[in-house]
Amino acid sequence: MSCLIVQSDKTLLLEVDHESADECRRAIAPFAELERAPEHVHTYRVTPLALWNARAAGHDAEQVVDAFLTYSRYPVPHSLLVDIAETMGRYGRLKLLAHPVHGLALQAVDQAVLEEVVRAKKIKPMLGERVETDTVLVHPSERGNLKQALLKLGWPAEDLAGYVDGEAHPIDLAQDGWELRGYQREAAESFDAGGSGVVVLPCGAGKTIVGAAAMAMTKATTLILVTNTVSVHQWRSELLRRTSLTEDEIGEYSGTRKEIRPVTIATYQVMAARRKGVYTHLELFEARDWGLVVYDEVHLLPAPIFRMTADLQARRRLGLTATLVREDGREGDVFSLIGPKRYDTPWKEMEQQGWIAPADCVEVRVNLTESERLAYATAEPEDRYRFCSSTATKTTLVRELVARHPDERVLVIGSYIDQLDEVAAALDAPVIKGETRIKERERLFDAFRSGELNTLVVSKVANFSIDLPEAAVAIQISGSFGSRQEEAQRLGRVLRPKSDGRTARFYAVVARDTLDQDYAAHRQRFLAEQGYAYRIVDAHDVLSGNEI
Amino acid sequence: MTDDAGPAARLESGRALTYTSWLRSLSNPELTALFAARPDLMAPVPAGIAALAARATSKPTVLRALDQLDRFGLQVLEGLLALGDPRFSGTPEGTRREELAVALGVPCDALDAPLGQLRTTALVWDDAGLLRPIAILRDILVEPAALGPPVTALIGALPLDRLNRLAADLGLPTGYADGAPAERIGADLTRPGRIEELLAVAGDAARPVLDRMAWGPAHGSVSNAQRETSLATAVSPIDRLLALGLIIGTDDHTVALPREVALHLRDGRLFSPTEAEPPPVSGPIVDAALATRAAAGQVFTVLRSLEELLDAWTADPPGVLRNGGLGVRDLKRAAHLMDTDEAGAALLMETARAGGLIAPGSEVDGEWLPTVEYDVWRACDPARRWLWLVGAWLRSPRAAGLGRGKDARGRSRNVLGEGLDRRFAPEVRLDVLAALSSAPAGCAPDPETVSARLAWLRPRRQGAAFDELVRDTLTEAETLGLTGRFVLAPFAVTVAAEATADSFASAPSGAADSVTAARLAAELPVPLDHFLLQGDLTAVAPGPLVPALARELALAADVESTGGATVYRFSAASVRRALDAGRGAEELVELLERHSRTPLPQPLRYLVADVARQHGRLRVGTASSYLRCDDPAVLSELLSDRRATDLGLFGLAPTVVASRASRPILLDRLGELGYHPVPEAVDGSVQISHPQARRSVGRAAGSELAGPPVPGPELRMAAVRALRAGDEAETAVRHPVDTPGSEPPRSPTATTLAVLSAAARAGGRVWIGYLDSEGIASSSIVEPASVDGGYLTAYDATKAAVRRFAVHRITGVSPLDSEPAR
Repeated sequence: MSCLIVQSDKTLLLEVDHESADECRRAIAPFAELERAPEHVHTYRVTPLALWNARAAGHDAEQVVDAFLTYSRYPVPHSLLVDIAETMGRYGRLKLLAHPVHGLALQAVDQAVLEEVVRAKKIKPMLGERVETDTVLVHPSERGNLKQALLKLGWPAEDLAGYVDGEAHPIDLAQDGWELRGYQREAAESFDAGGSGVVVLPCGAGKTIVGAAAMAMTKATTLILVTNTVSVHQWRSELLRRTSLTEDEIGEYSGTRKEIRPVTIATYQVMAARRKGVYTHLELFEARDWGLVVYDEVHLLPAPIFRMTADLQARRRLGLTATLVREDGREGDVFSLIGPKRYDTPWKEMEQQGWIAPADCVEVRVNLTESERLAYATAEPEDRYRFCSSTATKTTLVRELVARHPDERVLVIGSYIDQLDEVAAALDAPVIKGETRIKERERLFDAFRSGELNTLVVSKVANFSIDLPEAAVAIQISGSFGSRQEEAQRLGRVLRPKSDGRTARFYAVVARDTLDQDYAAHRQRFLAEQGYAYRIVDAHDVLSGNEI
Repeated sequence: MTDDAGPAARLESGRALTYTSWLRSLSNPELTALFAARPDLMAPVPAGIAALAARATSKPTVLRALDQLDRFGLQVLEGLLALGDPRFSGTPEGTRREELAVALGVPCDALDAPLGQLRTTALVWDDAGLLRPIAILRDILVEPAALGPPVTALIGALPLDRLNRLAADLGLPTGYADGAPAERIGADLTRPGRIEELLAVAGDAARPVLDRMAWGPAHGSVSNAQRETSLATAVSPIDRLLALGLIIGTDDHTVALPREVALHLRDGRLFSPTEAEPPPVSGPIVDAALATRAAAGQVFTVLRSLEELLDAWTADPPGVLRNGGLGVRDLKRAAHLMDTDEAGAALLMETARAGGLIAPGSEVDGEWLPTVEYDVWRACDPARRWLWLVGAWLRSPRAAGLGRGKDARGRSRNVLGEGLDRRFAPEVRLDVLAALSSAPAGCAPDPETVSARLAWLRPRRQGAAFDELVRDTLTEAETLGLTGRFVLAPFAVTVAAEATADSFASAPSGAADSVTAARLAAELPVPLDHFLLQGDLTAVAPGPLVPALARELALAADVESTGGATVYRFSAASVRRALDAGRGAEELVELLERHSRTPLPQPLRYLVADVARQHGRLRVGTASSYLRCDDPAVLSELLSDRRATDLGLFGLAPTVVASRASRPILLDRLGELGYHPVPEAVDGSVQISHPQARRSVGRAAGSELAGPPVPGPELRMAAVRALRAGDEAETAVRHPVDTPGSEPPRSPTATTLAVLSAAARAGGRVWIGYLDSEGIASSSIVEPASVDGGYLTAYDATKAAVRRFAVHRITGVSPLDSEPAR
């Protein structure tokens, strides 16, 4: 009796409680994407992309088939094995390489494939002169676009053209009083070996440190792209603490300051800003001969930056994220433009190892009052979600929940400013929202970290990259419709390991029988698939003083 | 063409044996065997032995019988024809077994099997130690063993002056003075040792010409083949050969090598080589255990995906094309649904059709629907289900592989549509299975060697279409799980024998003691009675579930992925579906707790409770289309809902609202608005809705496509008895009789009438052969009730109904309960 079951839709089910599960996981990890990791049965998916990544990492079809035959509980359909061998065989028929005479060129092992490719409408304009029967020149600027287009055609090119080293700059890790955790080192090394790629780690697992470690391995000028200004400052202080870099070596490139230093941290917002239809800050990419580009929260990468990234294929690229789910479904673009996934691990496993705090997720359902229900039914469709998710009943409940955790730092997170103001007034707590100035934000965060402030109400500006290690309770009162990654990020706020090893608590307050409940279910699915099962309790149970 | 004229031969009876009298002399078991080997002879049952003889020697049925011969059988038959027909007219004279064995170069015993078969099929009959092929074979096997006509036949066609010159060159008298010149020359040329002498006269230069023709073809092209030649004027080797009659011109451009000359040149051998043994099937050896596992896995996949497809069709059946097939888009969709390619999907659909699992719904709406048989099929255990499919596949003349091509007129063919029939497909499938089972253990036979073996087995069936069918059969066997990695699975070894057994037609899932089913069941995964519930609201069944549990679970959760395991996802909608079908919330939770290996996650328990709480909160009536609810707020909420204005709602009481919209629309719209009402019955109770599975009442497919059904042993025996009875009647008429001339002569019809009347009186059962008004032959077992007015009224046991038969259309009759007089 083995632990792996192969499904006809090319998903693999792994029974985690099985004795050979670990062994099997290692065998299938190179070619299958972990899709869901709930308590008992993990789901991996074999996609062409994953198979090609496996080829890129030096695995062959024989090895994949062998893993199937060894671990599969039931016979594997022959057609599936054939399909896998065929798919893997498509990789590497085309090679992108630096031609000694002509520069960047596309070379084919299989003449027929080249003929098909050069005739493809989308690819033709990216190619130059045909210098040999099996070699076509490629415009260096089209390297990324070509790779993306070839992937879509199903003939992924093996990129052997290498990377420019960039401007060298000494960076070292300053491991005084702390050291790299095992998985951080593995992630950084796996990135360094591959040259480019994405590292997926849960919130609170220290992605910044992985970034720092990668920089220390590359030892070159680095451009770091992050989500917002607060995050710029956090990166900056983290780099100062963890590496040999000094204040003068790190520049900030944001709405307010435009410094270009050997290590420059910029916000996506600035990069994507346009004036009269022109991206005015594009030159930052050309400002230095960057040896490494780091994309923080790569799942949020805006479309213009995608396009710019296509031009950066000769530079090393590192993507960092907790959740490689994009609500726009452009995960494939992340893979082809930033690079394949280099490291991933189930959240629950990190939790078991103590690297992130265990979390207890509770959904609290509140009832709309009768008059609210009537109002909800008559509301305009575009207002319905806003109406139900900011029901007044939630305020009462939040007050009760906060009162339940008198000694803990509580974050109240929501999307609607009116609602946040209302809750803040009820709790007598400050609010951080879009209009709050950066200085004020940082002051409040500092107060919260130090313990001066026990309760903080935040809007979605605090969704990402805000390091609040001592926050132990998060109460989500409204969300951005069904965004799964937002939910995960918000849970991430409380996942930093606590000094006393406490369990974090994550409440989602949801209005019953409304759109709010439907969206909440969608959001929670992602976390449930990461192994965070929700409990559901009724608001009146909470209000009547029952144990949660 | 018959081998003897009936009445004339009969007058001479007692002297030379004829084909007819040989047939008559056969024992009943031998005649039964003849019918078994050539079932077309008894459709309809011939009136007598003479009629049987005529039919057995008619070209179409002889061709059909020849198609059954393997290469050795054919070589033996050609040998008999080549050796035993020197006159080339009338009934071939026959040859002795020993001569044949020598000419074939095989030991005498080796001939037992092929000669036995030839005799059973009545292609060859024996007459005082002479083996005589029937005459029609001469027209079919034109050049037996690549030999030309005998010298007599060739010379007989020559003009007189040519004969005279030939006689002169051979040193024989010319003219008609000493009898017919052709006979004289013929006798001289076939004289022992004479050909040797003539070859010497022709000289060495002529030898290459003869050697080229010796092993066929026996005809050669020569300009001016009927030239005036004699030994004296001959200039070229061809001239000399022509002058000596060693080759003979048949028309202006062609010369033929006489049979005797060719045989002499071949040293008396007929074939080079004689292929007495079939070529072996060979190929690479693979891990047998792995191959069996692969086959069993494929069996499992086939059953699962077919069930998945037909369940999908139940809800959303695809349309029937005008030509009766299935559209390309529907095929693509089905292939996608079953996670297979189009060829695989087409095969499964054709097999399901052949097995009677799907049929067009009705003429009007024209949709492909699962049949009632499908429900029977689904209730069988997996091994039986597979046996059902494979049995249907083996017997189906449909070749799914043809669906990807175009027909002769360039129209594309459609799956389940016209033009996919190949009459010999069932035979090819059985032959391929037999070839596979002849391979050594663990050998994955090379398709070429399989083709070679089939070429030996069915030499007269070769051609591109046949080869394609063989190749398709190998792929199809793999797809159906008969083979794994192209090795015949151990459980599939017995399937051919079982599927062709007579009982199989009536029991499509196989006999009760089926070895195949037992062996297969041991290979298939054991159905489980548990699953794993997880916090993300999924249930994973790590293997096939016992059917009852699978149904319950599929009702309460949506299937998300299938394969070795099944993943189910619970949602509010799926739980509601279970509640709609009458399951209670408690019951559902209890079921999940009982069968789950893991604790029931709290969110799931909550989900069930929550849906149950909402479920049925609103109730919708039929008679006047009303809404009622115990909670007035809900109704006022609904009444003020601007999205519901189109329903024409108006409040009747605080807890009752009526609607102008019809009930289904109301139900639908309220559901859309998020209220989830339940329909209410007249007495106010909740109406439980079952999604009604749609079924076709169409007949099982295949029967009208297949040739005449192969009659079972009982029918064959009855046919023999009818034949004897008819023959007796026939022969009795022609004998001088004592009765005065005024008595009407007895005819076969009279016999028929007598037997029927006797049976009607005695209440016995009779077997009758019947030609209906459209000329279609059938046979039935009936219990005659009365015979009058030229009609037989009888209870037809095969149709379980009382039917009327026109007596003059009854081709034969035989009492069933007693042995006929012999």
